[in-house]
Amino acid sequence: MSRVRNRTLSSAELQAFGDELDAIRARVTADIGPRDAAYIRRIVASVRWCGVAGRALLFLGAFVHSVLIPAWIAGVVLLALSKILENMELGHNVMHGQYDWMNDPKLNGHTYEWDIVATGENWRKTHNFQHHTYTNVRGMDDDIGYGLLRIFPEQRWRPFYLMQPVIAMVFMVLFQWGVAIQELRVGRWFAGKKSTAQMRDDFRPVGRKMGRQLLKDYVVFPLLAGPFFLPVLLGNMLANTLRSIWTFIIIFCGHFTADAEVFPKESIRNESRGHWYLRQLRGSSNIAGGKLLNVLSGNLSHQIEHHFYPDLPANRYAAIAVEVKDICARYGQHYNTGSLPRQFGQVIWRIWRHALPSRPGKKLRATEPALQGG
Amino acid sequence: MRIVCPMNAILAPRPLWPIRLARRVVSPALFDFWATRLNPLWTLEQPLARLVSRSQASRDAVTLVLRPNRHWQGMLPGQHVNVGVEIEGRRLVRSYSPTPLDDGSLAITVKAIAGGLVSGHLARDARIGDLISLDTAFGDMVLPGKTDDLLLLAAGSGITPMRALLRSLAARGMPIKVDLMYWARSRDELCFVDELDALAAAHPRLHVRHLLTREGAEPDPRVDTVPLDAIAALADRRVLACGPGGFVQAARHRLDGQVAHFDAEAFSMPAAAAAGDEGEVQVQLARSGRTVQLSRGMSLLEGLEAQGIRPRHGCRMGICNTCACGRQSGTTRQLLTGDLSSEPSSQVRLCISAPSTDLILDL
Repeated sequence: MSRVRNRTLSSAELQAFGDELDAIRARVTADIGPRDAAYIRRIVASVRWCGVAGRALLFLGAFVHSVLIPAWIAGVVLLALSKILENMELGHNVMHGQYDWMNDPKLNGHTYEWDIVATGENWRKTHNFQHHTYTNVRGMDDDIGYGLLRIFPEQRWRPFYLMQPVIAMVFMVLFQWGVAIQELRVGRWFAGKKSTAQMRDDFRPVGRKMGRQLLKDYVVFPLLAGPFFLPVLLGNMLANTLRSIWTFIIIFCGHFTADAEVFPKESIRNESRGHWYLRQLRGSSNIAGGKLLNVLSGNLSHQIEHHFYPDLPANRYAAIAVEVKDICARYGQHYNTGSLPRQFGQVIWRIWRHALPSRPGKKLRATEPALQGG
Repeated sequence: MRIVCPMNAILAPRPLWPIRLARRVVSPALFDFWATRLNPLWTLEQPLARLVSRSQASRDAVTLVLRPNRHWQGMLPGQHVNVGVEIEGRRLVRSYSPTPLDDGSLAITVKAIAGGLVSGHLARDARIGDLISLDTAFGDMVLPGKTDDLLLLAAGSGITPMRALLRSLAARGMPIKVDLMYWARSRDELCFVDELDALAAAHPRLHVRHLLTREGAEPDPRVDTVPLDAIAALADRRVLACGPGGFVQAARHRLDGQVAHFDAEAFSMPAAAAAGDEGEVQVQLARSGRTVQLSRGMSLLEGLEAQGIRPRHGCRMGICNTCACGRQSGTTRQLLTGDLSSEPSSQVRLCISAPSTDLILDL
């Protein structure tokens, strides 16, 4: 489907391309320090203060009835903001090990547990390892349609996909639940390829986390509001839903825009570092926007830079992007970026288009050999 | 310092019920964020201390008094504690041997080492009120209820565990004979001179001798040639030695077969990591208690796998952080950049790091 032509790089060029990108990593790594520590601590403080302010405003209406509606709306917005920041700029980035260098036990990539129903442990496996190592490789990166949607013509069409515009909407609203059960491989269990005993073992930690989250947002906090139980419950539910929708939008824009490519398994055989960078570039897309979008998207507005350097502090991506863009231009490689409406429009188009049978275009095939060479 | 098997010094008392409840209900991150706004020491679980006083201990050493919060589990005299300070956004950790004071505080004596980040910070920049993290005390240079007569050998900062031991023995009325030999280069580098002399004056069974190797027309002998005739019944003594690696090695050699017991702890000086990738090193896996020989030319992950050990791992290219594990001591070489790293208690990715020196890993 790709409409762009990337220059095919010789193996010497590919080597140089990888070296230039490695050089950025080395330079930024050497420069990491107090500025980055202060940044992530500021994010932690924002998460906490927004969260407390949001919950307080949701309670306020119980005692001051005259401000019920405006306080409720402001409360939902602040709580959703806190949850989005915690999920994306804090949790996602900390769990990549971006702030391990601080040696702060509360910001350790292996132990951080985030405020959503998915367990940190499962996320570290499906996301940090599988998705980031095998980005957009069919059969290896589960994030391609999450086993639920047909995003690329290379995925085999089944009549089930005719319903995917509706399924995608439901998935968007319940996105945090989808992420939570991703590693459970429910489909394999339904198909009888996974034993029920195994399923039970896998589900136990996930179920515990789900229970904890449900108890917190839908029992404890509403009960604290006493007679005001229902508005607090609904407010929490809406905040969680807004967070799910927002993360769905950002994440789908990251790999499923019109120019994003998928790759066959053969493409990663004997993959060099230069190839790996090239595959990350072609499988990822950025969202152009300002600082606010960067923070609210956990800097996944710089999805390309994030995939090049998933372990560098995300607050560096914006500066790194300037150089990455220049390198891509010099090597004749398309740097996929666009506004949020444009990128998400392309995602919606893909969801609708590939609900129907479709076949890979010719141009895409022409670009693949570049990723297959030794 | 280079001591392995950590041990709990003193069993912590059962926490109060509000703390037990809080631990079930909220995460330490959430609790600490709000509680430390009221008092920086009010954490849910993490042992922390506040610097409450500082005084000059010698020309180039400073004694800092730390007041720990209630999560500090205590220590036995002679043990070591990993002390962490935040410098430029990083929490850096070093081992010190504190003297437990009667009011529950800890006194650490820090000598600023040239180029030493943490010692320089503590000796010069640390201010009253600064926060310092503490880990569980560890180390075997402790005195059980009844013990043999002692010969204590200390060089430089190696005096700190000895001071703690002597104070605790003095508090018990000095029940055994103790000889302390304390080496320094010059008189103004000696710490606790008045205190040690006063202890010796008060307790006839304690003998203290200072040996200065770079002062006066006739410098005192080093440990390898020092005469030991003055020590009564040397063969029945338990020897505790603490100092730089070379000192401890020389002491061990000097006393080999002549004493009842020999226990020592050496500072592991930042090893002058040899460049290159030839030869093998010893890698100690602290959690599983295994020690293996690994090639310096291979990533730690590949080396460990070749030994039949399977650490958790993912991408094998330094991206996914799955194989990151703590390196307690030693130097590793990052294979992609060739950079050496020797910061103790920091994370190392096994798949893209090769060992440069002997290592201790949290595996």
